[in-house]
Amino acid sequence: MRALAYTAFAANAFQARLAYRNQVWAGAFGDLVFMFARIAIWISVYTGASSHGGVTLPEMITYALLAGPVLYWDYSRLLNDVDTVVRTGDIAVYLLKPLHFPVYLLANHFGNFAFEFLAMTVPVALVVGLTFGLLPPADLFYALAFVAYWGLSFMMLFVLATLLGLAAFWLMTAQSLDWFFNSIMTLLSGGLLPLWFFPDWLAAIAGHLPFAWVSYYPAAVYLGKLDVIQTLIYFGIGLAWLSVLLGALVWLWSAARHRLVVQGG
Amino acid sequence: MTRELTIIPELVRMFVKTKAEYPGAMILGWVSQFASYGAMYTAIALIIARFGTLGGWTWSEMALLLSFHLLSYSLGAAFSFTQFRDLEELVRMGRMDAILVKPIGPWVYMVFSGLNIGYAGHVVLAVGLMAWALTQVQIDWTPWMVLYLLATLIGAAMIVCAIMTMIGATALVWVRSRHLYSIFFGFWELARYPLNIFPGVLQILLLTLAPLGFMSYVPVAVALNKEVVLLGGWAASASLIAGPVAVLLAMMHWRFCLRNYQGAGG
Repeated sequence: MRALAYTAFAANAFQARLAYRNQVWAGAFGDLVFMFARIAIWISVYTGASSHGGVTLPEMITYALLAGPVLYWDYSRLLNDVDTVVRTGDIAVYLLKPLHFPVYLLANHFGNFAFEFLAMTVPVALVVGLTFGLLPPADLFYALAFVAYWGLSFMMLFVLATLLGLAAFWLMTAQSLDWFFNSIMTLLSGGLLPLWFFPDWLAAIAGHLPFAWVSYYPAAVYLGKLDVIQTLIYFGIGLAWLSVLLGALVWLWSAARHRLVVQGG
Repeated sequence: MTRELTIIPELVRMFVKTKAEYPGAMILGWVSQFASYGAMYTAIALIIARFGTLGGWTWSEMALLLSFHLLSYSLGAAFSFTQFRDLEELVRMGRMDAILVKPIGPWVYMVFSGLNIGYAGHVVLAVGLMAWALTQVQIDWTPWMVLYLLATLIGAAMIVCAIMTMIGATALVWVRSRHLYSIFFGFWELARYPLNIFPGVLQILLLTLAPLGFMSYVPVAVALNKEVVLLGGWAASASLIAGPVAVLLAMMHWRFCLRNYQGAGG
């Protein structure tokens, strides 16, 4: 019964997005322009060289699509939602309902993610695929591993964003945190520049922080850049990070509930 | 006119005061945006460190391009972005009608009653990066060059402000226009790179329909004595008139939308 209710929240979020068609084409267009910028950078640096450090241009184009629109979904919407319910006091309504607020957020944003993936990312991927070409996964193992990494990536970004959102209980705003988080993600998730092009010392640090599991590892696994053993080991490390962060989320949520002050009325 | 001029400082003072009521949030906002752009620029610096140049531009030249882009954007957006982004909300809630009957021009009222001081972090980063870049790059300094860079910087801010106004004004007719900003920011993102790395269609778009190529690339390329795509020898003069032309178009569009404003119900 409970699980069914959460599926309904996900479906509901998906359907709610159908009502705003202008947002869809504008968002898809934004993603497409963003992809063209990334691809133009890679085409430019690959002029006169077929590969850099064993990575080819088609691989970089595929990487840019995966690490960008596919894996790095719009977490700002989630932050905004938490920010709004805390600031307006609507959070009280959620606390009165027989549901677990973080799980509700997960269901809701999974619905949003599914919508954005189907309505924006797939069309963008088609255009990029037809214009520049995209590579399939390295082989069946890497294809399956990518699916597992994708799930891990979604949960990692969800937990990180929700942790930030809950900070709104203390700071009463999550907007600035969005910018801070974005700056960390820009550099350390590998979304723009894969870790294999980083200076070695920076790659060693970034490669062991949880942000790299959002964009870098899933995309690198898809392209078969990690060997089988590494793929399994890094999945394990990613899971360990996720459980630590989930533990932090559970703890922060219980602390936040007890600290809640609803203003106005 | 004189009345408008005397009321502008009052409007700005009022808005700044409301923001300064929450100094923590204000400073956190500045610092976080500084960090966000800083991270993006660091990523670009890492790309150039790995590959040498980007489209023939070295890191110090890129730094000048990026800082010009950020400075002109923040100057233009301070006068326009949040104000016109929220215009559709004013239209939808019927509050626009109250602004229209005020004894002051609605554009002047909107711009100055929301003059965004939130861009301080942008300006600090842009000025700092620009000061460093100017010591590193080769520019033939003449009084004309100084005037040219100042004029194109103001022109670039005018382009940003003009486009933001036009998008916002569209909400007067369409009720919704906020989604158009994501298109603006798509082109805005492209405009921080040298235009020669893009395919021809994008280059044409960035110099005509979405003239953000004039925001940074054209003036900086002219100053660095680089070949400017499509414009060639016309680049300097084109970049000087782009700002005023954008403002004229925006004024016409704004007036057209005001004339066709019908409200969005009661």
